[in-house]
Amino acid sequence: MAVALPEVVEELLSEMAAAVRDSARMPSEARRWHQIPLDRNVSQLGHELLSRGSYLVLVPDELLLSLEFVFGSSAIQALDLVDRESVTLISSPSGRRVYQVLGSSGKTYTCLASCHYCSCPAFSFSVLRKSDSLLCKHLLAIYLSQLLRNCQQLHVSDKQLTDLLMEDTRRIKGAAGTWTSKTEA
Amino acid sequence: MAEALRRVLNAGCAARPGEDGAAGPPLLLLGAPRSAQTSLLFAAALEAAGEGRGSVLFVTRRPLQSLPLSTPTAREHWRLQKVRFQYPSSIQELLQLLASAHEAPAPTPSLLLLDGLEEYLAEDPSAQEAAYLAALLLDTAAFFSHRLGANGSCGLVVALETQKEAEADAPHLALLKRYFPAQCRLQPDALGLGQHCCLRASLELGKLSPRTEWSVSFLPCGEMKVTPWLAQASKLSPEKKDSSAGSQSLTLGCDNLPGPGSPSDGILTSETGADSKT
Repeated sequence: MAVALPEVVEELLSEMAAAVRDSARMPSEARRWHQIPLDRNVSQLGHELLSRGSYLVLVPDELLLSLEFVFGSSAIQALDLVDRESVTLISSPSGRRVYQVLGSSGKTYTCLASCHYCSCPAFSFSVLRKSDSLLCKHLLAIYLSQLLRNCQQLHVSDKQLTDLLMEDTRRIKGAAGTWTSKTEA
Repeated sequence: MAEALRRVLNAGCAARPGEDGAAGPPLLLLGAPRSAQTSLLFAAALEAAGEGRGSVLFVTRRPLQSLPLSTPTAREHWRLQKVRFQYPSSIQELLQLLASAHEAPAPTPSLLLLDGLEEYLAEDPSAQEAAYLAALLLDTAAFFSHRLGANGSCGLVVALETQKEAEADAPHLALLKRYFPAQCRLQPDALGLGQHCCLRASLELGKLSPRTEWSVSFLPCGEMKVTPWLAQASKLSPEKKDSSAGSQSLTLGCDNLPGPGSPSDGILTSETGADSKT
């Protein structure tokens, strides 16, 4: 499924967004925990993020677990990316848009806004080749950022947007090496 | 009639007659010899040009040497003037064309057609590059739709010549199908019906949707005939008309099959008025 998310996943994301927005009305001290309740049933990474006082604290446990169930380790990693405000929506005067996500390694990945594509190796491998995952963590981070409304915004010229979209192709070409053109039989 | 042919290719309008200017989901046209696909895409281009919602962008690697069809519609030059042809000679040039689509001047296309994807795939791209190409095609059509705004959406049809027997070997086909869940397969029709070239078109909007089928014939005079597919068809005969577009009898050719309100040149008007602007 490269074009849209399954309905059940969309619902899950909406519920998460609602939970966070509701909690956003709480005073800021209440939103940061320094002690993790022993009965919270999340993963080790989840505990780490909680201890840093991340967004996770705002989401009910059952939704976090559902997210982790559907997306595996990408779930917590995506939330971490959202926490760090790693998602940028880039637009040009034409109205065309594209996303860029600053990965945990410091590398920037380009993701299309209208369908599922990310320039990261995990997308190519887990999503496309092995069909293991629906989304990579960067695409999931984009969905979450949209719902949580914490995308950075960047405006560029039409020409710069073209260059951004073409940047990937130069990277791909480099990885594949020289082109071989098949001659017609 | 020709509107219904466009629906064959743009898929989905037949299922949603109420939507104005809805182009339907992006469609992958598979199988068949290249010439049949080119003719079908060309027919769709002329039809969309006639709608007046926007221009048509026809992208293919090798320039068309002659008009693929010779029909009354094809001879209306004003339609052809709305079709913009681009001939990127490599995947890289094709990607550049799509990536810079937002820089191109008006009018915004209401239909984006890519003919002969297999020629670009013959360059042996990686899976990632093939995925990016598919995704960028979708993104470009989505951008055109955004620009068209109230004037409806931009349709997308990509033609890929494949051999049914060898389809498992077709590079990146499974990947392409993930980006294009709506597919129309053209297979040669054994019955032939004495025509120059007769094909069976099977349209599937998605894995769980019912299949709609048509018979497409290309006549020596350059005409094209589309009729609903009948398993026991031995003669093209006028059908009892009902409300679903899939059972309308269509012809772009010399014979005028009777139909509701058909003018003398054989082009039936769409009964749902999907062309009207809101």
